[in-house]
Amino acid sequence: MKVTVAQIAPRLGDIEKNFQTHLDILENAKKQKSDLVIFPELSLTGYSLQDLVSEVALQVDSNHYFSEFKKISRDISFIIGFVEEKERGIFYNSSAFFNKGEIIHIHRKIFLPNYGIFEEARFFAKGNKFSVISSELGKIGILICRDFLHFPTSYILFVQGVEIIVVVSNSPVRGVSDKEYFESARLWECHGENVARLLTSFVIYCNRVGFEEGLCFGGGSFIFNPFGKIIKKADYIEEEIFSQEIDLQELKHARCMATYKRDDNPELILRELKKALNLIEKE
Amino acid sequence: MLKINCKLVKRILVRFIREELQKFGFYRGIIGLSGGLDSTVCCYLAKEALGEKNIVALILPYKDLNKKDVEDAKEIAKKLGISYKVIDISPMVDAYFEKYPTENKILIGNKMARERMSILYDFSARENALVIGTSNKSELLLGYGTIHGDLAWAISPLGDLYKTQIFQLAQYLGVPEKIIKKIPSAGLWQDQTDEGEIGITYSEIDEILYQLIDMRKSPEEVISSGYDKEKVDRIVSLIRVSQFKRKMPPIAKISLRTVGLDFLYSRDWYK
Repeated sequence: MKVTVAQIAPRLGDIEKNFQTHLDILENAKKQKSDLVIFPELSLTGYSLQDLVSEVALQVDSNHYFSEFKKISRDISFIIGFVEEKERGIFYNSSAFFNKGEIIHIHRKIFLPNYGIFEEARFFAKGNKFSVISSELGKIGILICRDFLHFPTSYILFVQGVEIIVVVSNSPVRGVSDKEYFESARLWECHGENVARLLTSFVIYCNRVGFEEGLCFGGGSFIFNPFGKIIKKADYIEEEIFSQEIDLQELKHARCMATYKRDDNPELILRELKKALNLIEKE
Repeated sequence: MLKINCKLVKRILVRFIREELQKFGFYRGIIGLSGGLDSTVCCYLAKEALGEKNIVALILPYKDLNKKDVEDAKEIAKKLGISYKVIDISPMVDAYFEKYPTENKILIGNKMARERMSILYDFSARENALVIGTSNKSELLLGYGTIHGDLAWAISPLGDLYKTQIFQLAQYLGVPEKIIKKIPSAGLWQDQTDEGEIGITYSEIDEILYQLIDMRKSPEEVISSGYDKEKVDRIVSLIRVSQFKRKMPPIAKISLRTVGLDFLYSRDWYK
């Protein structure tokens, strides 16, 4: 199947403009016979929202952007980022998965970074579950930015049978040294590679670009296959929309070669976790 | 520890200048060009970002105080193909001090820095060009700048780079050797030098700042790792007393929602 990753620079707070950008990209991807288009975290709104959060929040059931998106998704599947008002006055950093005319899943960001340049927990409510969604596109799990960097999150998707881990992100570059890479970008790439290889799954990372408040969002979106091999990588800093053919059969080959999935023992892990948390008695 | 990959830094800064200006509907930048390292590096980056036709360099000497620098500044502007204008600020500055005389160099220096700011902002409106600030991270942290003077700008490309890192960047950008070799100076009076005034060399300042700020080490930790106690203490005290220069001034909170406190919108709102 063909995946399109849209490394774009959304305009802060301007849903109408960003919506048009989404439509253009989807239209093009459709022409290129792409099966799945991935947009970054908060792709409809931009990142540094602060008090704008409540103003740009959308209720999924009752707005025309989503009815329009649903229509488009009859022909092509896609994942978009937005501020969700799930209940009145409660806002989530969410990503919605559109497929066959419906929203088949919404992931609400769980780990909200709140330190240094980040203040998400000040403005957003926390999500509380990780899901894997089956469709003709395979078994897909969505993680939003920092969600991915917490070790167990990918594993929870793995236990649920994930085949493609989609990570949507708004990661600014920071930590330039004399090295050829950004310290911040390397974090994503190293973790992406390890997760892909050890969980024998595809990892698709879609980051945004552009500046907000002096923050330079780094781009560098990538796809790792289940062997942990990078099969596509976008440039840093600049807009780039790429399409890449991925072969789900590789999951079979990778899992024959490295039997992490077969040999996994989540029941044992769960029992040990409970012990560690003193939820059950230690032997 | 202070070495940077100049190729990556240049990419960030060129895009920063272009995008931050264009978002606000501007295609031109204006730079106060002194003939020193920081403003020269800014001109090189801005040329790359906006094209030479879209940069206005203002060379703003006080009489013949920095004659050599003025010649260097003109040479840089010509070399880069950017248009420049030389405006002597002495008539305005002298007119003021004739009425309110002083011998205090700092007062005179601050007035000169603010006169330059005033002209830059006037030309900003005349030329439809945003002011590109030239302060670096070392100066910002030490408070080595005049509030509402050289610390006034629309965007600051170099504000997160230490002076020693700007030397590296200048070399990478191909800034002439004679500019790079110049002894850093605010040029506010005869024979003024940054390092002379601060009393510590930039290479020491930047290493100590890097430990304190970027690595979040305590002054005690920095001293025990081998840096001179007096210098560390001096740097810490300069940082502390100049914090007001790095923050918007406080507004007394009265209402339910206050500008600067809990009226929180990015300046990039709808940009």
